[in-house]
Amino acid sequence: MTDHESNTTACRSIVAWLPLAAAGALEIEEQRRLEEHARACPACRRELEIWSGYSQALGRLPQPPLPAQLMERTRALLIKEYAAAADRRWDALMLGALALFAWTVGLTFWFVARIITGGELVVMGANLVRFGTWTAGSTVLVWLTAAVAALALGRRRNELRRAL
Amino acid sequence: MILAATMNPEAFSGAQEAIARMRRGDPDALTAVISRYQHRLYRYLLRLVREPAAADDLFQQTWLRVMEKIGRYDASRNFESWLFSVAHNLAIDSWRGKRGESLNDAGDSAEPPSERLPSGDPDALEQLLDFERGAALAVCMLELPAIHREVLTLRFEEDMKLEQIAEVAGIPLSTVKSRLRRALDGLRAAMDARFPGRRA
Repeated sequence: MTDHESNTTACRSIVAWLPLAAAGALEIEEQRRLEEHARACPACRRELEIWSGYSQALGRLPQPPLPAQLMERTRALLIKEYAAAADRRWDALMLGALALFAWTVGLTFWFVARIITGGELVVMGANLVRFGTWTAGSTVLVWLTAAVAALALGRRRNELRRAL
Repeated sequence: MILAATMNPEAFSGAQEAIARMRRGDPDALTAVISRYQHRLYRYLLRLVREPAAADDLFQQTWLRVMEKIGRYDASRNFESWLFSVAHNLAIDSWRGKRGESLNDAGDSAEPPSERLPSGDPDALEQLLDFERGAALAVCMLELPAIHREVLTLRFEEDMKLEQIAEVAGIPLSTVKSRLRRALDGLRAAMDARFPGRRA
């Protein structure tokens, strides 16, 4: 009877741990039991050495070469994306600022118009300096301004793209 | 060498600084971070998807996604794990898109590895010690399911801890262990099948 045959039962419970031992994935107690067993069992010790060989070889696999200019292509893509993101932020900022400006101008003119007209400027039956009417008119103006701004910004972006 | 650079405190603080600048929207910092991780990330993607063109595409997509999401990156997390998990998720999406299946589908439900008892026969790997062992292993690794290739490369090439692998792959620690075991067992079976009884 060989050493290993005499240890078969013990080996069966240990052998499943051997690949994990090579991967450094055993719990401390499991590792201790495995080492203890391996000291007494030449066959398992040998098997553990083989798995360790796999572990070492896997850490030294041939390294794949980086494709030509992958770094440069990635950098160019990211720079383009940075520029696009900056454009989007700028567009949003500009639209916000223009909307705010339009509302401020609208409100200022409302005050001025109320002072000049004494609070009443009736055209076709509607009092234009009433807050609701004036707000509705201002809203239309704001959206028109935003649309014009969006068109202008889109044109500018297209020009920049063509230039690039 | 890579590990040495990672463990070097100066290199580490340099990387942290670059990541912090990247979060503030500095494109030069992003370039520095890409330079630092390019070889490892590409290797990981190539091991995962096997096709250089797909790995190349995923590499670029990963950095685009990193740029988009860097504002939401929790600096208390390990950047490396976060970066590789971004790449992992993109690879899964790409896999689903191309084949209508998940990267996780293949391999995990495979038969448990044979409980190989130690034998007196010489091992195929040992016989190949002086004969392109690494190249042979790399070839055999390609035969494994993607999820097994992934855990092997993360554990042995990227030298990640099990907890990091779990974070990257989005799986429990116990699954990492079972995948590692199956992957190693599969690799050894592939080596034995490909190089039976070969002596150095």
